[in-house]
Amino acid sequence: MRCAAAVCEKRPGTSIVALTKVHSPQKSHTSTAQGGVAAVDPKDPVDKIVYHMFDTWKGSDCSADQNVIRLVCESAWEQIVWLERRGMHFSRTEEGRIAKRPFGGHMLDFGRVKAFRACYEADRTGKGIMDTLWAETLRHQVNFLSQSLAVELLFDENRCIGALVFMEATGKFVAVLAKATVMATGGKTRMYQVSTNCRQNTGDGLALVLQAGLPVMDVEAVQFHPTGIVGPGILASEALRGEGAMLRNAEGEAFMKRYAPTAGDLAPRDLVSRCIMKEIREGRGCIHRDHKLPHVWLDLKHIPEYVHRTKIQEVCGFFKKFVNVDPQCELCPVTPTAHYQMGGAPTNALGEVQRNATESVPGLYACGEFAAASLHGHNRLGTNSLLELVTMGKVVGEQVVEYLSGTVPPPPRPPEDGGDLIFGQFSDYFAAQGKESYARIRNELRQVMMENVGVFRTADGLNGAINALMELKFRAGRMAMHSQTLVMNQELIEVWELNHLLDLSMVIAQSALARQESRGGHYREDFPERDPAFHYHTLAFMTEYGKVTLDKRPIDMSIYEAGGPYADKFGVIERKY
Amino acid sequence: MSREYEITLNISRYDPDTDRSWVQSYELRVGGILRFVDLFRKINDEQDATLAWSSSCEHAQCGTCGMKINGKALLTCELLVGRAVEYFKTTVFEVEPLTVAPVIRDLVVDLEKAYERVHAVKPYLIAPAPLHPDGDEYRVSPQRLRQYVEATRCINCFCCATACVTQKNYVGPNALLANIVRIMDPRETAREERLKTLYSETGAPRCRTAQACTYVCPKEIDIAHFIALGKEGAPPFTESE
Repeated sequence: MRCAAAVCEKRPGTSIVALTKVHSPQKSHTSTAQGGVAAVDPKDPVDKIVYHMFDTWKGSDCSADQNVIRLVCESAWEQIVWLERRGMHFSRTEEGRIAKRPFGGHMLDFGRVKAFRACYEADRTGKGIMDTLWAETLRHQVNFLSQSLAVELLFDENRCIGALVFMEATGKFVAVLAKATVMATGGKTRMYQVSTNCRQNTGDGLALVLQAGLPVMDVEAVQFHPTGIVGPGILASEALRGEGAMLRNAEGEAFMKRYAPTAGDLAPRDLVSRCIMKEIREGRGCIHRDHKLPHVWLDLKHIPEYVHRTKIQEVCGFFKKFVNVDPQCELCPVTPTAHYQMGGAPTNALGEVQRNATESVPGLYACGEFAAASLHGHNRLGTNSLLELVTMGKVVGEQVVEYLSGTVPPPPRPPEDGGDLIFGQFSDYFAAQGKESYARIRNELRQVMMENVGVFRTADGLNGAINALMELKFRAGRMAMHSQTLVMNQELIEVWELNHLLDLSMVIAQSALARQESRGGHYREDFPERDPAFHYHTLAFMTEYGKVTLDKRPIDMSIYEAGGPYADKFGVIERKY
Repeated sequence: MSREYEITLNISRYDPDTDRSWVQSYELRVGGILRFVDLFRKINDEQDATLAWSSSCEHAQCGTCGMKINGKALLTCELLVGRAVEYFKTTVFEVEPLTVAPVIRDLVVDLEKAYERVHAVKPYLIAPAPLHPDGDEYRVSPQRLRQYVEATRCINCFCCATACVTQKNYVGPNALLANIVRIMDPRETAREERLKTLYSETGAPRCRTAQACTYVCPKEIDIAHFIALGKEGAPPFTESE
């Protein structure tokens, strides 16, 4: 939506059709982001953009692209002001300016001391951004199609000319032909048993990209947040541990001290997630009595009542509402939860989708969590994702405007073979016979991915997962549908989504198998160190199920290569906090 | 909560292909910790794959899963079975779609249709105030923001609009609220246009002060309070307040 707003502002009257899978554009998953948007205020006496760039580079485990880091960090404050002037309800300081809070990994002076850099709207910053952008698209009268699914990308030679769209509520197919197409389908981690992602985040966008013969990048880099609420998988913010909450195992031991004597419960996300999983694997976890899921405890009982009431009220409310646990007097069940995927559709710094390490696909753009530009490399810092949406959204919007002026309209009709793919898929779903159950395959997939392609990975586990996925994909062709209608057929959509989850899971598993090192969110027990031999982005194609071809894209090191006073900070540096 | 319950869901169904409506009963044995959205999933998985229902974030932040349970409009993602049994004092639940828009199938309503009421009040800044002389963002004092910040928490789940005693020719409480937020927002100068919308035939005069909106709001926003402020013309804020 930031992209649509940029197009409307720069080129009024542009005809835009915006598709959303959810019931209204305001229902998208960005609304659930809590913490803030990182941006260095030029009036800040101590913070500098170069510190933000350094933190992002270090946080990425040296695999983000420095041209993108520079672009995003330098335009961050401008985007905050843009949002505020369009009515976003940021929290305020006594002087009436936008309030800022510290966040994990954001430091002053190259990692010395925490920075107040995250602009926020209470603990609903994502909702603030979503509401503002949605209202802007209303102002500009962008034409939204809700509950509509892009089911196949359309091409004329090499150029993307739009997409075939399935309207869920009416059961009709529509071809949307466009001079330019922007994909921003968001998160993609519903293939994990516990995930903070919404029901719709099933990787459809990346599956479409793969089906079009295009690559995905760095999909092995999945971020697991240490404390998801068991069952629903809702995020229990790091702020709880910031207020003194402690992780405990089944024996009641506050185990983090054993792993990280200094940082303890406030060690980095990836490290804490690994410790929790280790406890569970060594038999010191619990099994939730209702959800039947393994977990450890988060202890907030010793935290003063006034802190519960004033500082961590919302998240404590989640425990009360969703698992009926009162954090003031009971232990809270938590478990690592799939939260974010750093990888996505590879784009250059202009948001142009790439067909390989050097060439772009004319007319096709991507931004947001769906894309990998890459700002985050193999690990993302908190508050950098919302920043990426608004900065790259604008960049892509302006890029599209430029492209529109120099290009011819798409052909008046979709290509001859347009729709062959999706009509074939839907026909197969409807014609499928067999006793297989959607629920069973979905549950097995989530378990396989959580156990073998999750926080810890090994060659054996990944190979096992790849075999299991081959079998699941085969079985997914033997599920008989219970209704043949096209109109609001939830089962049809779920089967379509399940196939995408299976596709993307296979690419994640194979990319993870090939990366024989540990970097950011990708941790190989058999290769626990970062290895300079893997200093590149993974590009992965899948032409046939299970047949994944890998390629490389170099990591942009332009800040380092340009020399200058801080160049040494942007080399391949040690990641220690 | 670990207790198990034998419950019955009597779900309103509608098939657009045959234009047929009926109520279908499902019997489930479930843990008290499960949420109503989990029950619908369980029905899909084990009994009836054709039942259609809506949700997205499933933690009360998007407002997609609103339904009427035993007559009360609420978000089904945050209703636990154990709590529902306690609150409604029964193990039998009538499950109906919200009444704010036409039903597409079963429990899925055409939310885009419902949203037209919110679109009509223009939730953006119609005429932004002149920028601050020092540049950057507008300056808004925390005291001033506090007056309306609760109202900005609305997620447009339409539970209030479903519970409201006025159903016809009325934009509904959430749309009124969106307008009142911008009347109270110091960055908006189109006060006259906003008041005109507020007092129009389909606006505040249709509110009968039953306060059902406040009673059902899943975000616990005192909507009736803001509508009352609106009826008084949302008096402009003075710094001394």
